[in-house]
Amino acid sequence: MDPAVTAPRVAIAASGAVNALGLGLERLEQAVRANATGLRDCPRLSGKGYQSTVGGFVPDEVWRQLRERDPAHGDAPAFLLADAALREALLGLQSSGSEAAPGFPGAPTGSCERSHLDATPASRRGLVLSTTKAEITALERAFHQQPCSVTAQRHLFPALLAADLAAAHNLAGPVHCVSLACISGLLAIQQGALLIQEDKADLVFVVGVDLLSDFVLSGFTTLKSLEPGGCHPFDVDRKGLSLGEGAGAVALVRRETLASPALVVKGWGSSNDANHLTGPSRDGSGLALAMNRALQKAGITPDAVDFVHTHGTGTPYNDAMEGMALRLVFDARVPPFCSSKGLFGHTLGAAGLLETLVCLAAARQQMLPGTPGLRTPDPSVPDSLLQTPRRAESLRHMLKLNAGFGGTNAALVLEWEGA
Amino acid sequence: MNHLTVLAASFLDADGYGSDRTGRRPWPAPVAEALQRGELEALRWSTLFSSETSRFGRMDFLSRLGLMAVELLDARFEAMEPAQRDAVGVCVETRSGCTVTDRRFLQMPLASTFAYTLPSTVVGEICIRHRFRGPVMCLLPVPGQDGSLETALGWLNRGEAGACVCVACDLLEKKIAASLLLSDDVPPGGWQGCAVLIGRRTEASHDHLWRLDSLPRLARSLCALGPAIPSIDQIGTPGEGTRPTRGPIYGGVGRVPSPGGG
Repeated sequence: MDPAVTAPRVAIAASGAVNALGLGLERLEQAVRANATGLRDCPRLSGKGYQSTVGGFVPDEVWRQLRERDPAHGDAPAFLLADAALREALLGLQSSGSEAAPGFPGAPTGSCERSHLDATPASRRGLVLSTTKAEITALERAFHQQPCSVTAQRHLFPALLAADLAAAHNLAGPVHCVSLACISGLLAIQQGALLIQEDKADLVFVVGVDLLSDFVLSGFTTLKSLEPGGCHPFDVDRKGLSLGEGAGAVALVRRETLASPALVVKGWGSSNDANHLTGPSRDGSGLALAMNRALQKAGITPDAVDFVHTHGTGTPYNDAMEGMALRLVFDARVPPFCSSKGLFGHTLGAAGLLETLVCLAAARQQMLPGTPGLRTPDPSVPDSLLQTPRRAESLRHMLKLNAGFGGTNAALVLEWEGA
Repeated sequence: MNHLTVLAASFLDADGYGSDRTGRRPWPAPVAEALQRGELEALRWSTLFSSETSRFGRMDFLSRLGLMAVELLDARFEAMEPAQRDAVGVCVETRSGCTVTDRRFLQMPLASTFAYTLPSTVVGEICIRHRFRGPVMCLLPVPGQDGSLETALGWLNRGEAGACVCVACDLLEKKIAASLLLSDDVPPGGWQGCAVLIGRRTEASHDHLWRLDSLPRLARSLCALGPAIPSIDQIGTPGEGTRPTRGPIYGGVGRVPSPGGG
């Protein structure tokens, strides 16, 4: 029997976010509704020769707030962001998890009063961290012989950042760290779901984080892949991407422990193009492979998909590749699709998490998000591209896509189980 | 405990290299001296392989270690049909990540270096060389937690892959490794590349019961047993109804037998 048939279903019980739009999920949901952009110019970076200094920078007032709350990690910004998203998810879990259904692990018989957090022993709480560069600013400071705390230096090693985050929140169960370029976030969600399905944990926090550092800006400048004025995904005149920073977090639990409507992690798939190290395959077949694997795992056919949230970086090659991949999977009936890179930039290891939260916001509001930054749709991509948000007739199955360096592709099928 | 069918294993570090088919081998004298001094530039593709690869010279050391470890498996991937390659998963684990390349990029920001400032770039290099398009993963193992073997085993058990290449590659600066206590088994010279190819059980294969502890230790142990074993596929485990050709090999389950022993 297919193990997927008998595996418990896993759903998102709570979530948290911090990014260019500000601190908290509410900011993100507002921006999705308004099709707003959080991209801005960062004057302190001008004059350094970067191709662009427009990006999804976390606002200064948010940094101040985070450092005041946790001065011990004042020079460990990746920890601060990841911790902020995780804290919001923890808070959400305490307030919204009180509708636990009978059979909830650890709950007394007949009780529906305890939150997931209260009811789950620390040894059954896990963490999966997704990041590409973790505390990369510590390396920059060390290189320039500037002061840098031991903690920040530890967090240059993402596994130690994961371990410290878990210890800070008494998550004593399994702790994993995934780092596979821009698909890290979706793979981390997959890992988190598996920890629950394989009964290694009852509650798993999946956190994605990355910083917009000189190192990263410098790197993408060498690749000449930045759009000077801010990205325009799927636009006929798109020239490149905009980087971003932030963190996203989701708390995963078994679906049956949630009485309220929930977003279920229904299937996943990944693949490699086996083609090029920094560019996508030209025919989209690698991403299509990942999409088909995810649909098969979810047990649904392409015509059941109501909405696709793409990687949509705004580079000429990526967006063209995604358009082809969508046609390979959906033929002429490509569902409505969008990109959120114009919302908060390309947040690398946090992208999979933050963009899954966009899907969550869309499902809650039963709306289809737009594509901030898009001016004139590229006629070569499917015409179901969403320029502005609109009301959804029925938003149930969503497909979330990411692709990255090394020719990697990932897809996640999400199902909104409404009231 | 998990069932695991190991089809091939390999390793390379400052002391030597080898596979389950060849056993341990020392580096040729001039290479050995350079590698003992930590000069990884001495690690050339042509030292070990007669095949061609135009990409090797442009790779960072982490990718070179991973790619060489997979090549040492001698698994004849080139004979696979495209559909079979689509079902080969690649899972890499690295404790060090690419910190050495990160420093190099800070000193000289070049596009050719930036491509290797991700710990997962080695996954792409392996997939490009062997045209693998199966599931992918890159883990930075948290001490004491599951690693790539568990991930690969999950792919096999859930039918998401037909075979999996698991790779561990590390390039640790000894000072950093010691100060951060990253590992209790820092490899000789601070660097290593290890690989195992695992597959589904077949009627012809025996049950294998391993404690999934550490990919490097598994690979090294199998390579240490070397050519005395006709095939890794015949390693059995007590209690599974199969008379083992050797005892269980590590992880507190049993001792590592000497080559030819068992």
